[in-house]
Amino acid sequence: MKKLLILFIALTSLTSYGQNPAPAKPQTKTIALMGGTVHIGNGQVIPNGVVMFTNGLITNVVDGTTVRLDLTNVETIDVSGKHVYPGIISPASTVGLQETGAVRSTVDKQEIGVLNPNVRALIAYNTDSEIIPTIRNNGVLLTQAMPQGGTVSGSSSVMMADGWNWEDAVLKKDDGIWLNWPTYFSREFNFEDFSTVIKKSDKRDPAIAALRATFADARAYAAMTNPTPANLKLESMRGLFSGKQNLYIRADYAKDLIEAVTFAKDMGVKKFVLVGGEEANRAIPFLKENNVPVILSALHRLPNREDEDVDMPYRMPGILHNAGILVSLSYADEWWRTRNLPFQAGTAAGFGVADREEALKMVTSNTAKILGIDNLVGTLEKGKQATLFVSAGDALDMRTNKIEHVFIQGRKVNLDDRHKRLYNTYKEKYGK
Amino acid sequence: MLKRFLTGLFVFGLVGSSVAQTTFPRNGVYDERPGLYAFTNATIVVDPKTTLQNATLLIRNGRIEAVGTSVSVPAGAVVTDLTGKTIYPALLDIDSDYGMPEVARSGGRGGRGGVPQYESNKKGAYYWNQAIQPENEASVLFKADAKKADELRKLGFGAVLTHPHDGIARGTGTLVTLADDLENTLVLKPTATAHYSFSKGTSGQQYPNSMMGSVALLRQAMYDADWYKKSGSKEQANRSLDALSRTSSLPAIFDANDKMGVLRADKIGDEFGIQYIIRTTGDDYQRLEEVKATGAPLILPLNFPAPYAVEDAWDADNVSLAEMKHWEMAPLNAGRVANADILFALTTADLKNKADFWPNLRKAIENGLSEQKALEALTTVPAKLIKADDLLGTLQKGRLANFIITSGNLFSPDNVIYENWMQGKQYIVANKNAADLRGTWNLTVAGLDGRDRSNLKLTITGKTPGKPEFQLMVDTVKTTPKVTVSDDFISMQVQLDRRKGTSRLTGYRTGNTIKGDGETPDGKVVTWSMTRTGDAPSSTSATSTTGAVAAATSTTAVGTLLYPFVGMGNVQKPKPETMLIRNATVWTNEKEGVLANTDVLVSGGKITKVGKSLAAPADVKVVDGTGKFLTSGIIDEHSHIALLSINEGGQSSSAEVRMADVINPDDINIYRQLAGGVTASQLLHGSANAIGGQSALVKLKWGEAPEGMLIKGADGFIKFALGENVKQANYPNPNVLTRFPQSRMGVEQVYMDHFTRAKEYTKEWADYNQLSTKQKATALAPRRDIELDALAEILAKKRFITCHSYVQSEINMLLKVADSLGFKVNTFTHILEGYKLADKMAKHGVGGSSFADWWAYKMEVHDAIPYNAALMHNEGVTVSINSDDAEMARRLNQEAAKTVEYGGMTEDAAWKMVTLNPAKLLHLDDRMGSIRVGKDADLVLWNANPLAIYARPEITMIDGAVYFSLKDETAKREALQAERARLVQKMLSAKASGSSVVRPTARRSRMWHCEDVEGMVEGEH
Repeated sequence: MKKLLILFIALTSLTSYGQNPAPAKPQTKTIALMGGTVHIGNGQVIPNGVVMFTNGLITNVVDGTTVRLDLTNVETIDVSGKHVYPGIISPASTVGLQETGAVRSTVDKQEIGVLNPNVRALIAYNTDSEIIPTIRNNGVLLTQAMPQGGTVSGSSSVMMADGWNWEDAVLKKDDGIWLNWPTYFSREFNFEDFSTVIKKSDKRDPAIAALRATFADARAYAAMTNPTPANLKLESMRGLFSGKQNLYIRADYAKDLIEAVTFAKDMGVKKFVLVGGEEANRAIPFLKENNVPVILSALHRLPNREDEDVDMPYRMPGILHNAGILVSLSYADEWWRTRNLPFQAGTAAGFGVADREEALKMVTSNTAKILGIDNLVGTLEKGKQATLFVSAGDALDMRTNKIEHVFIQGRKVNLDDRHKRLYNTYKEKYGK
Repeated sequence: MLKRFLTGLFVFGLVGSSVAQTTFPRNGVYDERPGLYAFTNATIVVDPKTTLQNATLLIRNGRIEAVGTSVSVPAGAVVTDLTGKTIYPALLDIDSDYGMPEVARSGGRGGRGGVPQYESNKKGAYYWNQAIQPENEASVLFKADAKKADELRKLGFGAVLTHPHDGIARGTGTLVTLADDLENTLVLKPTATAHYSFSKGTSGQQYPNSMMGSVALLRQAMYDADWYKKSGSKEQANRSLDALSRTSSLPAIFDANDKMGVLRADKIGDEFGIQYIIRTTGDDYQRLEEVKATGAPLILPLNFPAPYAVEDAWDADNVSLAEMKHWEMAPLNAGRVANADILFALTTADLKNKADFWPNLRKAIENGLSEQKALEALTTVPAKLIKADDLLGTLQKGRLANFIITSGNLFSPDNVIYENWMQGKQYIVANKNAADLRGTWNLTVAGLDGRDRSNLKLTITGKTPGKPEFQLMVDTVKTTPKVTVSDDFISMQVQLDRRKGTSRLTGYRTGNTIKGDGETPDGKVVTWSMTRTGDAPSSTSATSTTGAVAAATSTTAVGTLLYPFVGMGNVQKPKPETMLIRNATVWTNEKEGVLANTDVLVSGGKITKVGKSLAAPADVKVVDGTGKFLTSGIIDEHSHIALLSINEGGQSSSAEVRMADVINPDDINIYRQLAGGVTASQLLHGSANAIGGQSALVKLKWGEAPEGMLIKGADGFIKFALGENVKQANYPNPNVLTRFPQSRMGVEQVYMDHFTRAKEYTKEWADYNQLSTKQKATALAPRRDIELDALAEILAKKRFITCHSYVQSEINMLLKVADSLGFKVNTFTHILEGYKLADKMAKHGVGGSSFADWWAYKMEVHDAIPYNAALMHNEGVTVSINSDDAEMARRLNQEAAKTVEYGGMTEDAAWKMVTLNPAKLLHLDDRMGSIRVGKDADLVLWNANPLAIYARPEITMIDGAVYFSLKDETAKREALQAERARLVQKMLSAKASGSSVVRPTARRSRMWHCEDVEGMVEGEH
């Protein structure tokens, strides 16, 4: 029975993986997108803009009503009435790391053990995942492949939603180390009434002590050249102390996040990012003083407490942004749902972020800044990579998010995906 | 046997039992005594309404022979003068486990990796389910326990009704006294009551593993007992059914957990013509109106929650306002129940420390319970409820001589219970003749260091004479000597000279003088004496005054009730209004489509007018809809909110369970969804088994009790399920799975089998019902089977199937099964591969209720595509988009909008997928799902195009009553914060004044999805 099941999964995997469209070919000819509403991703909009890119890089973004570009040898695409956006970036994602949630053999998102800074998510990143083409189809063109589990989970990398293998697909290798801060409150499931009891954790002190020792050792190790014996775990953390890598701190409760950020500072970590932040609104002065950017977990969640405002999760980006904190939106550890990330920006705009372009930044340029890739992507500006898409309408609203063109580093991406294929197959069945 | 136990001041009575021991041989000589006692000059509370002054109580052989002010005391009576003292009937507790065997908590319920137990492990001719054990008899199990009896006697209890607290049908209760004697004497009424609960207790059997399963099991057992009595006993011997039927006329006590349990239990009683006496957990005040309407007498506990430690403002966020309010209001419960004229008894059950009984009862009295009602609830009411008022509860002639002697008013904080007489036997709690030493005394010690110390001032104070407190002035120093008083002997340790140490003085009392001798620290013998000089400086009266002040403050600042009892609850239940929404863009869902600048008039809960520039009737509330969008409310075809449990997974079919039995109107998700424009939901059973349970169709009327939420006259629905959940494919430990089926082949056979049986069952009853009355008298009636009833309703097109489904092969299968057996499937829910056989679905006439874009979470959703809804719709299937998720239901409008993105639905068609189409699938489209004159006024006013991500409801109304108003949100949140702040202050001062506190913890009820089985590891959809 078991064997049969495995065989079954193997067969379906083989057949279906083979159906993803081939990765796009490198850009050979300059392309100009003409006449669209260009959302730069930094808050600005050009209503009748032209976006031109060559060899994968943006060469011009101009107002088409006032500027005339030389279009000799340029492939022009008329996108008038449509919208051009920088590729949406999904941070803290498990796209490529898991395929089918309930099938263990397709899940590679977490390692056993407590301290795994040396584990690297990009190694397991599966460019043949059938999830990837589906997220491109809503404008999500970059994801941060993030490891989970333990206290220190490993390092993440920023991946493009196109490529033959992970080496092709990676945009930034090992951009940061992930830390799950031991929580002040622990949750216990109560089998008597099937409720969850949340109470002060009595197990965290040893965990924090172990973290402190590890970070102290890693910091000392980082000061050595060619240490012997070499230690893979400590070696992998060097970047934290030189500022090359972010420390991504997962914490939600205000006390946890204050404690965790203070810890990181004490340990000499140069750059840190708060991830989750479901109760970051209680620590706003602290976050501002310490210049901590926040990657919020999915806004499409329930309030944490019975008495909490019903719309608090939706309002959180606005609350933090209006207080001057750099905010990015994520779909937390969801994979297939990542395609809905643009709509979270829409929700933010509907609930307190006054400007839709500001909300767009939370899934583009803000995220790029936080991940340290803002020199490459995140806005439609000259010199940046041509990782962008064209939507028939407002991409932050599901009614109008209709993706017509996708370019990743200027490569024109085939927009086919598993869902469209099955759709077309069955349209054929019904003769429509 | 005579002397089981002697503890402390508890002195065993002198009289031996005269009744029970007649059949026992004696080791020694007979010692039967007349047992004739007269208590004279007493204040006698004969019953809560009758108090006699200067009266006499005469008892003989354990019974009351006379009571009154002119009772002549016969010769040979032992006379006790009770001048200044009071006699009360002894107290009675009718929810006790006194003398019952310890109920072992069961560990192995299966499901968490253990091997599930589907059949009964109990050997013998019993019911098939171990939770039904009406054959248990408390009188057989009862073994007197002197230590526990002692604990209760001290509190003034003389008798208890005890029963084994285990199982759903628990067996019979027995009435016993708390004397130390042979059980033969103690048992007053061997079989007094029958007991029930919703908890399967120690039964390790899988079924039932949900609340609605408990209800169904009990109902079926009751029907089976009836059948057994009429005809079943000819087919089989069944001790359980025999017992259940035999005990059906006894007073029945139902342990119902909480306020919702009271309503649930009473509903079962109504079905079988039984009025249960219902034991609650003391939150009745939160639903008093509904609780009263049941007509059930109640048994109320007296345990009150401790305040929370709220010093840390952040940590304290974890305590909900409801918990804080309950802390404040729990002591009000008994008083409010009493004022509502609900008959009730009080119990010591639930008190971890029984000594909290009196302080807590006094707290209840301070909070509005009258002393008379309190006494009734501990004497006459419980006695009457269990039909033992001929034995207990009053001190009338002929009753048992069960009474207590007190220093005064039983409920006064300084009252002392001196003696507790049981069946004519004396138990001394405190020495009633003990001298009251309280007062001021002059102490003189002679020969100390060669000089006398005279006129040292000793002050004795204390709440009661039994607990004196001592203070001695030595020179100008206040000291607190250690003193032991034993009857007339007194011994003191005093520091007469601080440098030297402790002197020990021992003496005895004669009237107002105490004399004796003692030893100084250096071993020198000294003589001493002390003489009473006057009353103590009013310490006792001061105490009671403080008590009164405390009572006054605790009753003044009590918060208001909320409906439901949740922070976001309503101060008053919303009522239908007459309302005119002016100048809105109205999405009618009717052939008129979208109407610009249109008015809608709502009155009496219905839509009464739709048109331009309508005339405003008098007293109408006008809402400006300019720039806004008015739609009918969102209907969620697949929801699991507002339920206490979801899956009865103990069997492959649980058609007998009803979700209506487990509606939880306090679920905050109701309010959250109103804020998302949802007005009605189908609350579905989960997908753990092929045939699930009966749905509850509700409107999200936040504040109403379950009955008020249910949609009246709605058709019955039932959940079926196919695929991975049914065959337990994703269970954590596949090696222990034994439940049939484990494959999709088996699933088909479950249906074939059950429907074949349902057909036979239908015929059996039809045949029987055709018989003449005369023939019926001799024929055996078929057994009523509530599971087959539900399936028979499907065959008769009176109940309709919503079937959880994913993969096309199994969908096809159910269509074929249905066709072959002559029933229809109403709706396939999830139906993520519906697009593969939309043509077959259209032909069968089945609807599809789907997710907009879910996939990839398990193997059977591998082929799920977001174009599914559009493809099914285009083939003529009625399609709705549902949530199955408390979070997603808050933005079903957005999920509907996804069908515009995927598959290019028109906005009109997309919107109907969350309104009119689910109404059609639920057979409610004649009254809901569109804006048309005459339809229910379930309306939502949106700030933008309702399909836009930027849209949010500003008003959500149901039947013309406003249940969510964005405009009022701020005020509501501020009120919530203010109430929290008030209670925090109150808790802080409670802690400051010495109350023990509990650390803030949050209890979050489970968010249910359809495949969550209780006891199982959380799964996904």
